[in-house]
Amino acid sequence: MAYVAIADRDHHLHDPTTWIEKYVWSQDHKVIAIQYGSVAIGVGLVALVLSLLMRLQIGFPDTFSFITPYNYYQFVTMHGMIMVIYLLTALFLGGFGNYLIPLMCGARDMVFPYMNMLSFWVYLVSVIVLLASFFVPGGPTGGGWTLYPPQTVLEGTPGHDYGILLMLLSLAIFIVAFTMGGLNYVTTVLQARCRGMTLMRMPLSVWGIFVATILGLLAFPALLVAAIMMILDRTIGTSFFMPALLSLGELNGTSGGSPILFQHLFWFFGHPEVYIVALPAFGIVSDLLSTHARKNIFGYRMMVWAIVAIGALSFIVWAHHMYVSGMNPYFGFFFATTTLIIAIPTAIKVYNWVLTLWRGDIQLNIPNLFAIGFIFTFVHGGLTGLFLGNVTVDLPLSDTYFVIGHFHMVMGVSPVMVLFGAIYHWFPKITGKMPNELLGRFHFWMTFLGTYAIYLPMHYIGILGMPRRYYAYGSTDFIPSSAHEINQAITIAAIVVATAQVIFLINVFYSLRKGKQAPDNPWGATTLEWQTPQTPPVHGNWGPKLPVVYRWAYDYSVPGEPKDFIPQNEPPKGHHSLASS
Amino acid sequence: MLSALLIAMLTAITVWWLLIQRLKDKPWMKQGVLPTRQETVTSSAPKVGLWVFLAVVSSLFGLFASAYMMRVAGHGGLAIWQPLDEPNILWLNTLVLVLASGSMQVARNRIDADDFRGGRSYFLAAGLLTVVFIAGQMLAWQQARSSGNLGPGSPAYAFFVLLTAVHGLHLFGGLFVLTRTTARIFRVDANNVVARSRIRTSVQLCTTYWHWLLLIWLGVFALLLST
Repeated sequence: MAYVAIADRDHHLHDPTTWIEKYVWSQDHKVIAIQYGSVAIGVGLVALVLSLLMRLQIGFPDTFSFITPYNYYQFVTMHGMIMVIYLLTALFLGGFGNYLIPLMCGARDMVFPYMNMLSFWVYLVSVIVLLASFFVPGGPTGGGWTLYPPQTVLEGTPGHDYGILLMLLSLAIFIVAFTMGGLNYVTTVLQARCRGMTLMRMPLSVWGIFVATILGLLAFPALLVAAIMMILDRTIGTSFFMPALLSLGELNGTSGGSPILFQHLFWFFGHPEVYIVALPAFGIVSDLLSTHARKNIFGYRMMVWAIVAIGALSFIVWAHHMYVSGMNPYFGFFFATTTLIIAIPTAIKVYNWVLTLWRGDIQLNIPNLFAIGFIFTFVHGGLTGLFLGNVTVDLPLSDTYFVIGHFHMVMGVSPVMVLFGAIYHWFPKITGKMPNELLGRFHFWMTFLGTYAIYLPMHYIGILGMPRRYYAYGSTDFIPSSAHEINQAITIAAIVVATAQVIFLINVFYSLRKGKQAPDNPWGATTLEWQTPQTPPVHGNWGPKLPVVYRWAYDYSVPGEPKDFIPQNEPPKGHHSLASS
Repeated sequence: MLSALLIAMLTAITVWWLLIQRLKDKPWMKQGVLPTRQETVTSSAPKVGLWVFLAVVSSLFGLFASAYMMRVAGHGGLAIWQPLDEPNILWLNTLVLVLASGSMQVARNRIDADDFRGGRSYFLAAGLLTVVFIAGQMLAWQQARSSGNLGPGSPAYAFFVLLTAVHGLHLFGGLFVLTRTTARIFRVDANNVVARSRIRTSVQLCTTYWHWLLLIWLGVFALLLST
């Protein structure tokens, strides 16, 4: 019986006809991806402004009277939550996952297009609910992105009345959106790959997003459980997390709850969450490096194993965020061990990235600059993570600027480097135009050098003992004036780097309108998304016949071949393509 | 926390097992068209999607169960656990849910055999029994609140309502799909092969979902009874 691809069996491809169906209520994965990306970047800009306000306060205390301690903690919380969840998770999975998975797997669209569309609109609702917390009495919550009870729901913490409720509600709505999207990504990878596309021929971008989605589907329920229980504690007075509390000499009515329970639930979600951000970045950067060094990724199988291993191990390291919570020291010993173990597959990936570049025909174009920048910044952040992963070393460093330096390097800088690299890399495919070279290079160097200027000094002041989440430090003996001067320098660097991102936005909009027309495959890439008949790909992606895959995704610089790359859907010599039969 | 660990390990093993067959391939060696699983196994995207969703739901309930067990153990708090006397109606509710699952299975078997007329009343009955179950659960809350041994402020009561409510909400969500499917079963044309095939898939998915939620309820009930 002739093989009929899953994507070809359903003839009711949701062909849109009206403008609204094409660009608003669209079920096309490419449009949904751009919708996700636009909203994520938009809300990310809000969070960027919040970070600038924080830096203004820390760098120049007693200068900006409109930044009160109350506001400051709200900025801290909203910046963190928006960046981690509403920007990074949404952009990597909702944005790049939606765009790349069907194209790289040779499918016409996701397997559940209607649910895909719903997932974006539910995500948008979650963003609106989150931003609405700025406008309710008391403003948004100021409990830190970790939202620890009991403080977050008690008087004294900003937003303890309405802000925290909207935050928790927004997270619950986001989890619903993520589940809908995640079902799509997983099922499409498992069921809708085109003929010849085995799992081990998939590009690493898909592997990274696929495993990250599985992590998310299993880890976000922990946040949902914590959020539901905290909403109940806040609204109807249950004591899931609230111990017996005295407030102004009076018992407040709760008793028996455990704040530590919240921490366990939160970090059972929270640690896989950081890998949900990191794994797509790992996958994408592998493809960027390979394409722009004209060399197959070194150790593809190990890279896949490492992604899977990191994903699995990420569920048993969570309490390394809880070393100072007062838990049993033997737990600390266990989690420190698993944390060091998870460093092994991660390190293997770093070696393989470097070995991919080794003796490659390295093209120093903009995506590759960002990809190489990722390697530098990720190694930096990963090394500081080794310090923090050890219990005794973490005790003096916990809740200092050392931690802030660490997690910004591994989550803020390196995945964002990959995001920029990915946007520049796929810009020609998505828009049909080439991004402007000069603006792009300027953006890269400002960002790369600038983020070092911001986060490198933080490690020093962290070791000094400067605590995080402080509105002001006053004049204390253990913080010398040089530390305050460092803070000023960091603030100025932050303003410069933030301004550089405006250059990026200008580049995107300018190139969209006036950029050079892009060829179909400007980078000479092997993966399927570059082999679509039209650029940008139209609805249905592939024309009348789906592609057939004959080889893995990394046939670059194959000896004896005339070109330095062989697309995945190019048949072996002497065979005609099965896609045309 | 131990159960969370267990879930994590089981998940890791499952993922590992699913992928282990494929990760021995040497993709740079082989060229040409390789048979993919879709060619050799009749697959259904909605079924895979449902199983993934059931994994998410199981993760959710597993975590609620972990939180409950931590609370029972008095983890981090000084309060001693005071168990709730579960209302007896829960046993009746369990029977109702078993009957609902059973009815749905009969419906599925008949509709699979293309006997739509025979299957549709069983399918409708399953839906009605589920509504009875949900009503019974709400009655159980009322009973626990008014004549239970503990006040409504107690953690045992809070967890009882929370666990049963989350389970009930999942069933309630399933009722939306069931209602739509029931309407389609009653309206379908005997000659419309495509529509009948789609309904068959829908019934299969509903049945899987209902059986899984029954298993979860049995787990939740056992947990509540044992603490």
